[in-house]
Amino acid sequence: MTAEMEALERRMDSLQAEVRRAMVAGDRDLARALRAELNECRSQWEASLTELEGQAPEPAGSHGAQGPILPVREQVHQVLTLLGAPAAPKLVIAIHDALFAGLLPGARLTSLRRDEERSFRSAPYARPYYICAALTAELLSPARGLLAVSTWPMDRRIVGPLSPRVDFLTAAIRVAERFRDLYRGNSGVSPESRRLLWRFAANIPRAAQSASTINPDEIIVAARAELAVHERADSEQRAESALRARAQLDDAEQLFGTGLRLSRLTSADG
Amino acid sequence: MNAVESRLEHIRGRVAPKSHNARTIAALTSNPGCARRAIMDAAGVDKQRLAAYSGFPAPFGQSQFAITRGNAFEAQVKANGCAELLRLLREHLGLSIPEVSYDDLNDVGGNTGLVVRHVRTRSLLARAVNSGSDAGTLFDHPLLRLQVAGRPVFLEPDLIAFQLGGRFHVVEIKSFAVIDGQADGDKVAAAVIQSAVYVHALRELLAGHGMAEDAVADEVVLVCPENFSNAPTAALLDVRKQLTVLRRQLARLASIESLLDVLPADLTFDLGMDDDGVPSRSPAELRDAIFTVDARYAPECLASCEMCFLCRHEAQGRTETLGREVRDELGAIDSIAAVLGLADGTLAPADDQAEAAGLLRAAARLRRECTGEAA
Repeated sequence: MTAEMEALERRMDSLQAEVRRAMVAGDRDLARALRAELNECRSQWEASLTELEGQAPEPAGSHGAQGPILPVREQVHQVLTLLGAPAAPKLVIAIHDALFAGLLPGARLTSLRRDEERSFRSAPYARPYYICAALTAELLSPARGLLAVSTWPMDRRIVGPLSPRVDFLTAAIRVAERFRDLYRGNSGVSPESRRLLWRFAANIPRAAQSASTINPDEIIVAARAELAVHERADSEQRAESALRARAQLDDAEQLFGTGLRLSRLTSADG
Repeated sequence: MNAVESRLEHIRGRVAPKSHNARTIAALTSNPGCARRAIMDAAGVDKQRLAAYSGFPAPFGQSQFAITRGNAFEAQVKANGCAELLRLLREHLGLSIPEVSYDDLNDVGGNTGLVVRHVRTRSLLARAVNSGSDAGTLFDHPLLRLQVAGRPVFLEPDLIAFQLGGRFHVVEIKSFAVIDGQADGDKVAAAVIQSAVYVHALRELLAGHGMAEDAVADEVVLVCPENFSNAPTAALLDVRKQLTVLRRQLARLASIESLLDVLPADLTFDLGMDDDGVPSRSPAELRDAIFTVDARYAPECLASCEMCFLCRHEAQGRTETLGREVRDELGAIDSIAAVLGLADGTLAPADDQAEAAGLLRAAARLRRECTGEAA
């Protein structure tokens, strides 16, 4: 492992020098290619480092209060598992900040889905789970700006017209349940957490009167009441699309979606 | 290509036509009497470039900060399946609980091509119309198309809500604040006219599916931040008046022929660009070409037209620089020097100026009496 890392370090050094030379020479294309390679090396090095860390004996007080304790993908996985529905990076970050330890750097989320897809395509099913895309119900393309977990059943990762609302209500219920368990008989709810809960409660009919009187139980009841209105139509739509997705798409496409098939769109359009 | 089109193409010169958007279409309605603007817009002239090259650049365009702020607010309102927007529509407009269906038209399967998105918008809206109750409520960034001066223009409203009382409502999300129930009048006016453009385009689209005009509501929903917070609030605005003006102006653009008839046949605003894109035509010559088309300058132009500084320069010393009201009051007298001359009696009025001259003299006398100057 250490020998491998030393080789990587030498390679990174020489790549850095090459990037600089290319920049000075004004060859931007070459510089860009070299930088991509450099980044690749760096992420491999980071990965090896994390592995080393796992093997090393735990020194006392090694975790700073600031840095992330878990890799980003695991932090996101944690949040998504809590929510039980596809979610936008912004919501993931808000929930992580309010309910979990450590920091989740927002910038890292933008490329997460792409990184996961690359990882899956180069070594399928090498990891126990992947952070993947939610699929649009009609075209089975990746839904814009939503993250999901690959181990979920397909129909949970499908986004039909009613699904954004259903997922929002589902998430509200799950977050409120979590709050109820965390703060049972304990009034020490942080303002951040209260704000997060209010963001859900404010947009659900009859979930709360004002930000100061939020009660998780009321939110759960209100969200369930609205959910009951949409749930059936939504799950039918999702199940139908999930069936189609499993039949039509290959493994990678099932996780990360497929591009637009023009012929089908135009034929559906008449 | 017919004669009018080839004529307009010649006027534009050897560059691609500049395409309209809701803002520029809305700006058309602010000065319907201006032939210069009508011709330039019909020909798709890049007015910004033309104004800059002729020596009167106008500092136009939206600030990057305003755009970022607008986008951030829009994203917030639409986050999590339009959660905040649904609350507003339910509270203010009585949208029923089951109406939450949301269709994202920002891309079609990852494809952001305009034509693809327009086709998809059309098919989704048609489906919503034909199948009634449960086929879509919110359409995020649909892409509409409108014929302006014979060319298709793609328009992208923030959102269209269907099933609000069985009709389509255009929803416009703006980031200027509504403070204590009041918003900046100019900004609201601009938002209303932009929304009117969308309403018009949506009606045209639905007319193609055999829908009557009233399938699209006359009222648009304006969503703005409330007071000094980021919390959104909604209001209904009537756009009937703006729609009338807009229709008239668009019809006028379509009948541009009559305006072209009075212009010299060799008129062109071509900059004479060489292969490297460097203009070779002399600015003075270009200015002369621009001046052959009549403008109708008013101080309001400074807020909505790229050519404003050039027209203001041209109008120097004339009554229109003092505003539309002054110009209309003074009728046949168009230079400020003549007005002053008539007022102090040093200039003898022509027959058609007699009435205005009488008034001016009376006004001058009153002024002298008030200020105590000697006659």
